[in-house]
Amino acid sequence: MSESIGQDKKRFVIPIGPQHPALKEPGHFDFTVDGEIVTGATVRLGYAHRGIEKAVESRNWTQSLYLLERICGICSHVHAMTYALGVEKLAGVEVTPRAQAIRVLVAELERVHSHMLWLGVAAHEAGFDTLFMFSWRDRETVMDLLESFTGNRVNYSANTLGGVKCDVTPEITTAILKGVDFLEERSQHYLKVVTTDEVFLQRTRGVGTMTKEQAELLGVVGPTARASGVTRDIRVEAPYSAYVDFPVQTVIAEAGDLEARFVVRIKELFESYRLIREILSKLPEGELQVRMPRKVKAGETISRVEAPRGEAFYFIKSNGSDNPERVKVRTPTLCNMGSVVATAVGHQLADMPMILAGIDPCFSCNDRAVTIRDTSGTRYTWEELRRYSIDFYARR
Amino acid sequence: MNILRTLLVLLIFPGGLFVLLNGMIYEWADRKLVARLQNRIGPRWFQPLADMVKLLAKEEIVPASGNGRLFIWLPIVALAGVMTAVLYLPIGGLQPAFSFPGDLIVTVYMLSMLTLCTGIAGANTNDHFSLVGATRTLTQLFSYEAPFLLAMLGPAVAAGSWQINDIMAYASNHPIILLQPVGFVIALIGLMGKLEMRPFDAPEAETEIVAGALTEYSGRGLALFYIGRYAELVAGLTLMAAFYLGGIHSPIDYVLKTLLLLLALVGVQTLMTRLRIDQVVGLWWRYGALLVLAQWFVTIVLKGIVV
Repeated sequence: MSESIGQDKKRFVIPIGPQHPALKEPGHFDFTVDGEIVTGATVRLGYAHRGIEKAVESRNWTQSLYLLERICGICSHVHAMTYALGVEKLAGVEVTPRAQAIRVLVAELERVHSHMLWLGVAAHEAGFDTLFMFSWRDRETVMDLLESFTGNRVNYSANTLGGVKCDVTPEITTAILKGVDFLEERSQHYLKVVTTDEVFLQRTRGVGTMTKEQAELLGVVGPTARASGVTRDIRVEAPYSAYVDFPVQTVIAEAGDLEARFVVRIKELFESYRLIREILSKLPEGELQVRMPRKVKAGETISRVEAPRGEAFYFIKSNGSDNPERVKVRTPTLCNMGSVVATAVGHQLADMPMILAGIDPCFSCNDRAVTIRDTSGTRYTWEELRRYSIDFYARR
Repeated sequence: MNILRTLLVLLIFPGGLFVLLNGMIYEWADRKLVARLQNRIGPRWFQPLADMVKLLAKEEIVPASGNGRLFIWLPIVALAGVMTAVLYLPIGGLQPAFSFPGDLIVTVYMLSMLTLCTGIAGANTNDHFSLVGATRTLTQLFSYEAPFLLAMLGPAVAAGSWQINDIMAYASNHPIILLQPVGFVIALIGLMGKLEMRPFDAPEAETEIVAGALTEYSGRGLALFYIGRYAELVAGLTLMAAFYLGGIHSPIDYVLKTLLLLLALVGVQTLMTRLRIDQVVGLWWRYGALLVLAQWFVTIVLKGIVV
């Protein structure tokens, strides 16, 4: 038994996952190595498929919002926002500018917390635990701000269909401005560390380099693409919500290596701080919510939002009832996963955790459905499939 | 009487129990200080002891692949190696238990037993993490061992003796850290390599190869390897303090000087990123070995001038 595990004499495979200290969520990577050099890489996803898309179909429009928010624990607001924007578009509801601005405010605070989290995780993968601990300590500032603003640390539930729940008060404005000042100072420090620490640069400069051509070919999104010089940012290309009134600058870097990804993400933090301050100073007056019909008229739409990791994509179809007929979610990690396999070959085994972390993977979010290639060509309907699974487990 | 003394020396002081407890305290100090510098709380004072008690009480699972007898004996040999080295060192600020001309070489080689056993232990299984870990452990051993040995022999050359006691007597009258600063730095960094401390923890990089060579170890075997490492920390610090910090003359002297060195190790651990194994080899052979050879040259020339 033990002889057969990954050994067919010619190939020496290092299995990373589904359970491995480098992975905080289940995913599986097989790295074929020749000594320390990686000669081949494969990825297998789908360990954390939770059937959320299907579950949404049996819930009404409002319930689905809270379920979809739980797709991701880090960019939860983004999922709720993408869905809400899509449903509002379908229903033809116009949300007030104030509510839109608050949505963007929370989205940017969330981006700050997500990028700080990534900074720590990526540093940990390289074995730089001091940076990990420090960045996570400072991240608590923005977590506290989100908690005092929305009432929750993780799944904020700031969105409702037709608006937002929480309002910006003078107290919270002061707290956020103070927190952002502190974080900006810290971010300056981290930018200095990741661009000047010689030992750390040995692990990031020129490692996992992805050229602009490769990035475009692989269709990567978000900061991973922007670090390779691809100007791809939904906030700029197709402004949604309050990004129309509060435009952002795209941060790009040309190098395409891990250092560039560090630089892009930290510089995006500064852009977020600027945007947060601007929104707080020019917050439009108005109602927080508008009335939303219980049933959404039939039709279909797509909705795109720039999550901290890249483009979150929703396809929403309504048949005119009070339940969604179909919601299809595609998260940025899925788009970026190909770049891991493409850039891994030729690097050292020691670089693998960092190259993997470089795309800021979020496995549970991207595990939507598993395609089973059935050569017999059998096609099941949903009911048949349900029957089949009940029989399958009864037989065991 | 003689047997009683030997037993005392082997089991209570300086070998055995004393080094064990001392090692656990230093291990705790190391972890606690790193934690505080990283803005964490860190472990409680009895944490290493609690870990050992727990591990020793646990079932030891011997993998089906590899040689089972070797699997069980390797941690014992590793610990025995370190414990033997301790007998020739001025642990606790007192005279070494045993001393003979050339004991320095024996000590330094006994200190390498732990790494060697770790490497063989990793190679003795079919686990891919262990195999990669073993390769890295042994690669690292071959990269730091020669410069470390040369750095340790630097004071010996200056003193003109291979006996630890003589070298320490010489070091008490001569500021070796000023005469051989390069040797001091190389020896300190070599000690970090021996103990697989960051930035030289590529052999056990948990984000790549889980626990490296010791991935398959659990329970007693793992505990013995850990105890060996704790004892090696004490032995290494003592040797460094005796040679480079002007010798060890009293228990207080011992505590102060070894803790000072530990503080230096903590600082480096906190500031550094883990190096890749190719970078480690490059660092040692491109800079470490050459610098320590240059140091030797200077020492010999100086000695020639003085005499």
